[in-house]
Amino acid sequence: MEKARRSAVKGPLAATALVLGALAPAFADEVPLWSERVLQTPIDLASIAAMPMAERIARLKQRGEELFTGKFIRADGAGRPLATQAIIPTKRRRPAHQDFQRLAGLDANACASCHHEPVIGGAAPFTANAFVSEGFESADFDTTDPQFSNERGSPALHGAGLVELLAREMTEELRALRDGALEKARSSGTAQVAELASKGVSFGKITASPDGSLDISAIEGIDPDLVLRPFSQKGVFGSLRQFSVNALNSHHGIQAVERFGAAWTGTSDFDGDEIADEIGAADISALVAFQATLPAPSRKTDLPAVWREAATRGEALFADTGCTACHIPALPLASTVFRDPGPLETAGTLRADDVDAPLEIDLGALDFVRALPRDANGHVLVPLFGDLKRHRIADTREPALGNELLGQRFVDRDVFITTELWGVGSTAPYGHRADQTSLDEIIRAHAGEARESREAYTALPEDGRQAVIAFLRSLEIPK
Amino acid sequence: MTRADTARPACRPAGRVRLAALLTSALLCGAWTSTALASGTENAPAPVPRFVEEAEKAGIDHVYSGPWEYFVGGGAAILDCDDDRRPDLFLAGGTSPAALFRNTSPAGGSLSFERQETGLPGRLLDQVTGAYPLDVDNDGKLDLVVLRVGENQILRGIGGCRFEPANRRFAFDGGRGWTTSFAATFEKDAAYPTLAFGNYVDRSAPGSPWGTCDDNILHRARSDAGAGSSRAPDYSDGLRLTPGYCALSMLFTDWNRSGEQALRISNDRHYYRGGEEQLWALPEGRPPRPYRRADGWRHLKIWGMGIASTDLDGDGLPEFALTSMGDTKLQTLDRETDEMLPVYRDIAFDKGVTAHRPYTGEDMRPSTGWHAEFQDVNNDTLSDLFIAKGNVEAMPDFAAFDPDNLLIQQWSGQFVEHGEAAGIALDRRGRGGGLADFNMDGLLDLVVVNREAPTSLFRNLGGAKPSGDKARPLGNWLAVGLAQNGSNRNAVGAKLSIRVGARSLTREIQVGGGHASGQSGFVHVGLGVAERAVIRVRWPDGSWSHGYRVFANQFVLIDRGADDVRYWYPPR
Repeated sequence: MEKARRSAVKGPLAATALVLGALAPAFADEVPLWSERVLQTPIDLASIAAMPMAERIARLKQRGEELFTGKFIRADGAGRPLATQAIIPTKRRRPAHQDFQRLAGLDANACASCHHEPVIGGAAPFTANAFVSEGFESADFDTTDPQFSNERGSPALHGAGLVELLAREMTEELRALRDGALEKARSSGTAQVAELASKGVSFGKITASPDGSLDISAIEGIDPDLVLRPFSQKGVFGSLRQFSVNALNSHHGIQAVERFGAAWTGTSDFDGDEIADEIGAADISALVAFQATLPAPSRKTDLPAVWREAATRGEALFADTGCTACHIPALPLASTVFRDPGPLETAGTLRADDVDAPLEIDLGALDFVRALPRDANGHVLVPLFGDLKRHRIADTREPALGNELLGQRFVDRDVFITTELWGVGSTAPYGHRADQTSLDEIIRAHAGEARESREAYTALPEDGRQAVIAFLRSLEIPK
Repeated sequence: MTRADTARPACRPAGRVRLAALLTSALLCGAWTSTALASGTENAPAPVPRFVEEAEKAGIDHVYSGPWEYFVGGGAAILDCDDDRRPDLFLAGGTSPAALFRNTSPAGGSLSFERQETGLPGRLLDQVTGAYPLDVDNDGKLDLVVLRVGENQILRGIGGCRFEPANRRFAFDGGRGWTTSFAATFEKDAAYPTLAFGNYVDRSAPGSPWGTCDDNILHRARSDAGAGSSRAPDYSDGLRLTPGYCALSMLFTDWNRSGEQALRISNDRHYYRGGEEQLWALPEGRPPRPYRRADGWRHLKIWGMGIASTDLDGDGLPEFALTSMGDTKLQTLDRETDEMLPVYRDIAFDKGVTAHRPYTGEDMRPSTGWHAEFQDVNNDTLSDLFIAKGNVEAMPDFAAFDPDNLLIQQWSGQFVEHGEAAGIALDRRGRGGGLADFNMDGLLDLVVVNREAPTSLFRNLGGAKPSGDKARPLGNWLAVGLAQNGSNRNAVGAKLSIRVGARSLTREIQVGGGHASGQSGFVHVGLGVAERAVIRVRWPDGSWSHGYRVFANQFVLIDRGADDVRYWYPPR
């Protein structure tokens, strides 16, 4: 019986793209109303894509929230007894002793286990830190010794859709600069130096040679392929989709077909938990849509006068001290249409080229986006207080934020992407390890490229520093 | 309720799905009707790339033809002759002139070539059986070693896809034989490459052709010729590798990881008497000598026509595919003993690569295999095997319709034939060829030189729909170009170790093998779902580089001694 049932799932048809909605009645018969399963009938993405935008978003959000908050069970595929947490499908050398283990994972039942403060999709305190390991070597660590993993806090996801759109536009702009320099070098026969800047953020420069090669030794804060990867504390993941596929495997042992399926692993049950093809592309899209549509953080509107006045003064001081050099108050966004899959995915995450037409979600249809100011070009000003760029954030005099021992995805141990400060008033504690208990502490922990700003802050009189704190505390994720 | 009862498919068919539909259906669930990650059956889920033949449209109009001497040969050299890093094509023509085609394909676009004037006397381009690119004189420009029925030629590249005869300059005696195979290596401390020429039948010998296989010739540059671009190699010392057994393919290989190259020769039993497959040792500073039974070498007689090698099992030792009439061999070193002896075990049947008869059509007679090449055509990290097929001429005991093979490796280690699904099963008599990314889109395209039929040029459209002509990517990839100063500019003999996750993929830069066909240029590596990789290079002198961190889907240039790679972008 068991064998037969499995073969029904793992046969050739499991590797077939289908319109899934037509199957809903059959599944409805099989799954009782009281089922604990999270992954039941996948959504019918084709019919949802045909809906008017408001309804489309509502349906996707609904399903996405179910997936984000649902506690995966073994019948869903939770667990990866024969696979590590690695992003590239990697077999364990031996089966895991325990399905759940707070360090190497599984370390969570649901996405919301670690993204829930002050509301679902938000951050989490130190309690919910994750231990990030590449998962290729020493995948079974059971110690917090930093030689095996980097301990990270869980960031809030609010506004993540706008962040990804900004990153996509910046990548496109930077690549256009690169291509332009290459073309000019080829046509002129002389090397061309191009400043890499997008939306007012400088990423250094490149030198294009007439032979089509590129000197990238002077780029700053971005990967050599000029893909701006805005997610994770480190800024090493390019999209919500990529991150979701990674996290589902790492934290829950739920393996997405687009990464762990038979095409790339030769089996529909790579993790050996006897559940095949655990989560398909449509459900990943719903999960992405939920995160992408989480409202952007905003400012407290009901502040007492004394706080309001302090925050106003603090915002000015925040700029005066140079903090806004990296924590840029707002970046302009030309298009609010979020396409899933995005244009920059690579194999292992569903790509735009893998589908006939990406799913479109116009974030501009959402109230929180409508409420955002626009610049003279009509671009939405996304108030993220960030630059989507990586910086060295520790030095020998102040090494607190350089506590990690392991680089991640080619990024040095003491280099992190600028934290977007929108919502920072709702997401204590602070720092990539969530171990800085107050805003004053985390500001004083800044060093490296931020040393000058940090010293400007510490040189402020007490009321000035308090004003900065008042300002930062006014940036909130609405409940 | 058993655990299996809870198995939850991520997708299911909306109705009955016919086999044909399954073969072109997408892996991914959802409302999308993608074919980009199309897979076959549960036992062969690796993506199958879709190839379309577009030689005529691309400007390649070329036929390899001629009488008996040209039943064999028909090679292609893939090289960048105009320094734009795009792979150009030199095609043997037999009694028709060989032709050079300059690649003008835009990145990611349709294939496009222009016939190129070489600047050579026309007589040197006649009677050509094959060609291999190689920078013989270390001047940074690729030369062509041209195999002929008659005097072999070293054509010195002078830039702009123009060449000049260089036999006299290099004191090279091209002989008067019937040359059908070639290989080159840089021996230890040698400034210039050692060249091996494999000859077929000695037509002037009494009783020819039966039992009259010609000797093969090894040219070691005289050691007093010196290194550097200001000097030219002196190949006046030619060593005869006797006995020759009608070599149709040869390849230098460090078969035992000793650091010393040996010469593997695949011979055609059709004409030899008492012959066999051969392996020659090339001891430093001493004459070559054949491995014999006492050395562990085992007698094997096949209609050897092409050699390809790669390290399939990741043990650091190469496996060899040997094409033949009937079944293809796949040899792995038998490690039963502690001693490293050249004892090979045939695993072709176990791996599913015997390819002994046509996989489609009604002709059940045995196949005739020629060019062989391991490459990752679907970028899933696993090496696949291409074999050019075609009847010698009209041999009645062998298949007349004999389509080329595309054996896609699965994660089980098995290979599954997908030539027909991939679209390369043409009714042409294939000979030489090669896989290269002609339009620089990260997907390996395919050229096949056919006897008495137009050369085939297949564009790899990856996961494109059956009805569409828009390429869709498969796995991630890298293209790696190596360079070093002084001798051996293109790092012949270098090994690449490409780390993706917990796995190491390997590549070796070789000149030789296949069937009368060689190539130089970017080394292609499929990365599967890896978004980045770390490359280490073992340079030909044995020294290892540090790890170079690279991002996927890029062309990367590694200059020996450089701290970082350079990225390269093709013209659009």
